[in-house]
Amino acid sequence: MKYIALVPEALVAASAVILLVAGRFGWIPAYARRHVPTATAAVVLIALAVELWAGATLGTYFGGGLIQDRFALFAKAAVLLTATIAFAVADWTAEDSLSIALAMPLLAALGVMVAASAGDLVGLWAGLELAATAGVVLVALRRPDLGLRLLLTGAVASGLLLTGLAFVYAWSGTIELVAMRQVLFGGTATLALAIPVFLLLTGLAIRASVAPFHLAGIPSSFGASPLGAGLVLGLVAAAAATVAIKLLAALTPIPDAFSSYLQVIAAVAMVGGGAAALAVRAPRTRIAYLAVGQIGWVAAGLVTHYRAGIAGSLFLLGAFTVAATCGPAVMGRAEGGAMSWAGMGVLRPGRAAGVALAVLSLAGAPPLAGFFGEFAVAAALAQSGHFALLALGLLGSVLSLAAAAATLRLIYVHSPLEEARRGSALPVLTRVSSAGAVAFCAVIALYGLFASPILGLADQGAEALGLR
Amino acid sequence: MMWLGIAGLAVPTPTPAAVPGANIFSSPLLLSVIVWVPVIMAIAIATMPNPRGRFDMLMKQIAFFTNVGLVFVLWIAYNQFESFLSTPQFAESQPWLAAIGASYHLGVDGPGMTMLLLSGLIGIVSVLASLGIRERVRSYFCLLLLVQASINGAIVARDMFVLILFWSAAAIPIALLILGWGGPRRNAATWRLVGYWGLGTGALVVATLALYAATGGTSFDMDVLLKVGSVSPRVQVIVGLLVIVAAATRLPLFPFHGWARDLYAEAPIGVTVVVAGTATRLGAYLLLRALVAAEPAAAQLLAPLLAALAALTVGYAALAALRMADIRHSAAHLAMIPGGITVLGLAALSPLSIAGAVFSLFTGGLAAALIVGVCATLAERAQSRSLLVLGGLAPRMPILTWLLIIGGLAVLGVPLLATFPAELMTFFGSFKTQPIGAFAVAAGLAVAAVALAMLLRRVLFGVPNPDAPGVSDASLGESWYLGLLAGALLWVGVFPAGPKLPGTDAPIFDPGLMKTMSAGISELAAPYDLPTPTPASGQ
Repeated sequence: MKYIALVPEALVAASAVILLVAGRFGWIPAYARRHVPTATAAVVLIALAVELWAGATLGTYFGGGLIQDRFALFAKAAVLLTATIAFAVADWTAEDSLSIALAMPLLAALGVMVAASAGDLVGLWAGLELAATAGVVLVALRRPDLGLRLLLTGAVASGLLLTGLAFVYAWSGTIELVAMRQVLFGGTATLALAIPVFLLLTGLAIRASVAPFHLAGIPSSFGASPLGAGLVLGLVAAAAATVAIKLLAALTPIPDAFSSYLQVIAAVAMVGGGAAALAVRAPRTRIAYLAVGQIGWVAAGLVTHYRAGIAGSLFLLGAFTVAATCGPAVMGRAEGGAMSWAGMGVLRPGRAAGVALAVLSLAGAPPLAGFFGEFAVAAALAQSGHFALLALGLLGSVLSLAAAAATLRLIYVHSPLEEARRGSALPVLTRVSSAGAVAFCAVIALYGLFASPILGLADQGAEALGLR
Repeated sequence: MMWLGIAGLAVPTPTPAAVPGANIFSSPLLLSVIVWVPVIMAIAIATMPNPRGRFDMLMKQIAFFTNVGLVFVLWIAYNQFESFLSTPQFAESQPWLAAIGASYHLGVDGPGMTMLLLSGLIGIVSVLASLGIRERVRSYFCLLLLVQASINGAIVARDMFVLILFWSAAAIPIALLILGWGGPRRNAATWRLVGYWGLGTGALVVATLALYAATGGTSFDMDVLLKVGSVSPRVQVIVGLLVIVAAATRLPLFPFHGWARDLYAEAPIGVTVVVAGTATRLGAYLLLRALVAAEPAAAQLLAPLLAALAALTVGYAALAALRMADIRHSAAHLAMIPGGITVLGLAALSPLSIAGAVFSLFTGGLAAALIVGVCATLAERAQSRSLLVLGGLAPRMPILTWLLIIGGLAVLGVPLLATFPAELMTFFGSFKTQPIGAFAVAAGLAVAAVALAMLLRRVLFGVPNPDAPGVSDASLGESWYLGLLAGALLWVGVFPAGPKLPGTDAPIFDPGLMKTMSAGISELAAPYDLPTPTPASGQ
C-alpha cells in the first residue's frame, strides 16, 4: 500500500508507452480510433481520483528521490486535471498523429509530476527535460523547422541548467533539496552562488518561454498543432515553474542570491507579455503572449520568498496550467489568422466560451481563475513591500485585459465570415468535446468559488517546502 | 417636506416605523440574491437555444422580469431596513481566500441601500431602453445583466477583495456592449473606457494592497482595512490619493474624464443610462467609503484637492456643454455635473454636506441617466445629433420636450426635483468649510444653466430647420423608461422623507429615502462632527 501514491505516475507512464507502441505497430483498429482519446481521458481521470485519494498520505520513495507531500499533491492534481480536460476538449481532426498527440501530453504531465515530487536536483532536471522533450516531439510532428529551433534552444537551456545545478551542488555539497536548504541556512550570497543561480533562472526562463527568452517557445506554439501549442505554452512552462518553485524554496535562506534576477524576469514578462498580446491579433498568438504575462506573475510571487508568496504562485500556477494548456486545445482546427475566430460565438458557442474564458483568465480578468491567482500573488507582494513590481504587474494586467477585450470582440461582436475568408475550418463538434468545453469553462469560472480549499492546499504545499 | 427630511438627519428616529412590506420576507442571502440572480439569468440567456432568433423577445422578457423581481426584493429590503441602526444590515460573511484574509462579506448601510435602490431602478430603465435592440439580442442582454450584477456586487461589498472583484468586473461587459452595439466611434470610446477604468482599477488595487500591507496583511475586510486610525497619516495620504484617482476615473472628474464624452455619445441608450446612472456613481461611493469614512487625516488634507476637482469638473463640463455642436456630447458633459456636486459634498467634510453627497448619489444618478437618455432618444427620433440641424422640435416632440426640460432642470437642481434637496444640503454644508470650492461649483452651475438654456432654446424652441430629417416623438417604451426616471426625480423631490399620513409620522408605503440614507451617516461623519459650543457653567 505504500506505493499506491505512485499509481497515478504509473498509469500515466503506462498509457503513454502503450499508445506509442500501439501507434508505431498499428495496433489501434480504425473503428476504435475515435474512442481512444476518451479512454485516455478516462484513464487520466482515474489517475486524478487516485491522486486525490491516496496523494494526501505523505511518503518518501526511492531513498528520498521522490517525495509525496502537499506540494506534489497540488501540482500533480492540477496537471492531471489539465490533461483530462485537454484530451476531452481537443479537436482530434486537427492533430497529425493520434497516438503521438495523446502520448506526448501524457509524458509532459509525467514530467511535471516527477518534478513536483522530486527530492533532489536530478529529479527536477529529469522531470523538466521529459516535459520539454515531449513538447519538441509534438511541435516537430507538424513543423520540423520549429521543432529543431525548439530543440536547439532547449539544448542551450538544458546546458545552462546543468551547469547551474552542478555549481549549486558544488557550493552546497548535496543534491538533496532538504539538505541543501539546511546547508544554506546562515549562509550569505556570494558570487559563487549568484552565478549558478543566474544560469539556473535563465535556463528555466527559456524553458518557460518567458520574455525575453521566448524566441523559440512562443513561435513554436504558433505553428504546432493545437495540443502541441498547449503542451509548450502550458505543461512545459508549468514544469519549469514547478522546478523554479522547488529550487528557490531550497535557496530561500539566501534570497539575495535570486531575488534581483527574478524581479527583472517577472517585470519583463508581465509587462512584455501584456504589451505583446496587445500588439498581435491572432487569437492563438494572443493566448501565447497572455500566458507569458501570467507566468511573469508566477515568477513575481517567488520574489517574495516566503510562504504566502509561494502559495500564491502555486495557486496561480494551477489556474495558468489549465488555461494555457487547454486554451489552444479548445480552439481546435480554427487556428488560422486574425479572423479565424470572427463570430465564433454564434458558430461554436461552447468552444467560443472556452476560448473567451481562457483568454480572460490568462489576462487576469475577474472573476475567473487567473484573477484570483494574480490577486493572491499581489497580496503577497504588498505584504513583502514589493510595490514597484506590483505596479508593473498591474500595468501588464491592464495591457492584457485590453488584449483580451479585443479577442472577445472578435468572437462575440464580429459577424461570422464564410469559410473562404475565415482561413480555417470550424472545430469539429463531438459529444465528448462539448462536454470537455463545458468542463473547461466550469473549472475556469469556478476556480474562484472553490478558492478557499484550493489556496489552502497551495498554502500547505508551500509549507511542505519548508517555507514560513 | 424637504426640511422634515433634513431635520430627520439631526434627530434619528428612535424606533423603526411599521410599514407595509416590512418583515414579510426574510432571507440570510438577500444580498447574494441581488448580486447573483442577474448572473444566473445571464447564464440562462446565454445557454438557452435560440434558433434563428425565435426567442429574442423571450430573452428581453427574461431580462426585464429579472429586474422587476430584483426591484421587488429591493423594495422589501428597503422597507425592512432599520434606519436607526448604523451598522451594516443584511450582512453575510463566509471565509473565502483564508490564506490571504479575503472573505465573502456583504452588507449595506444607509448609503449602500440608497445605491441599491438606484441600481434597481436604473436596471429596469436600462432594459426598457434596450428593447429596441435587434442584433445579437442574446449577447446584449446577457452582458447587460452582468453589468448590473457587477454594480450590485460593488455596492454591497464589505470586503475590499470583493469590491475590487466587482468594481473591475463591470468594465468588461460595458466595453463589449459599446464595441458590439455602439455608434461609429465605438472603438475609440471603448479603448478610452478600458484605459481610464483600467487606470482607476489599478489605483484601487494598489490602494487596497497598501492598506493591506499597512494593517499587517491579515485581512481585506473593510472593518479592518477601513477602520479609522488603523494606518498612519502618511499611508492615509498615499491611499487617499490613489482612491481619488480611482474615483475620478469612474465618476468621472476632471482631468480623468476623457472616456465620458465618447461613451455617452456612442454607447447604445440602455448602456448609456446604466453607466451614467449607477456605474459612475460607484466612484463617489468609493470616495465616501475608502476616504471620507476611513481616512480622516488624509480626507482633511486632501479636501481642498477634492473641492478643486469638483469645481473644475462642474466648470469644465458647463463650459464644454456650452461649446458642443452635438446634442449627445452636450448631454455627456451635463451628466458630469451631478458627480462634481457629490464630490463637493464629500470634500466639505461636514455631517450635512456628507449627507447631501450621499443623497446626491441617488439623485445625481437619476439626473445624469435622464439627461443622457433623453438626449440620446431625441437624437434617434430626430435622426440627427447635430445642434446645427436640430431646431424647433417642441411642437413635434411634446413628450421628449418635457422630459428634456425635466432632465436639464434636474441637473441644475431646481425645487420640486430630487436634486434640489441634495444640492441644498451639499451647499449648506460646504460654504462653511470649503467656501471657495462651493462658490466655484455654484458659478459652474450658473454657466451650466446658460448652456442648458441655449440647448433648450436651440433644439426645442428655435426656428425649425426645413432641411432637417423627419422627426417623431418618443415611443411608448421610451416614454416609460424616461418617465420612470423623471417620476422618481419628482417623487423623491416632493417626498424626500416619504409620504406620511396627515397628522402622523407613519409612512404610507415609502419609509423615505432621506431616513433610509441617514442610517450610518452619523458614523461616517463622526470624525468631522464639530463640537457644539456649550455655555460655561455658572454664567
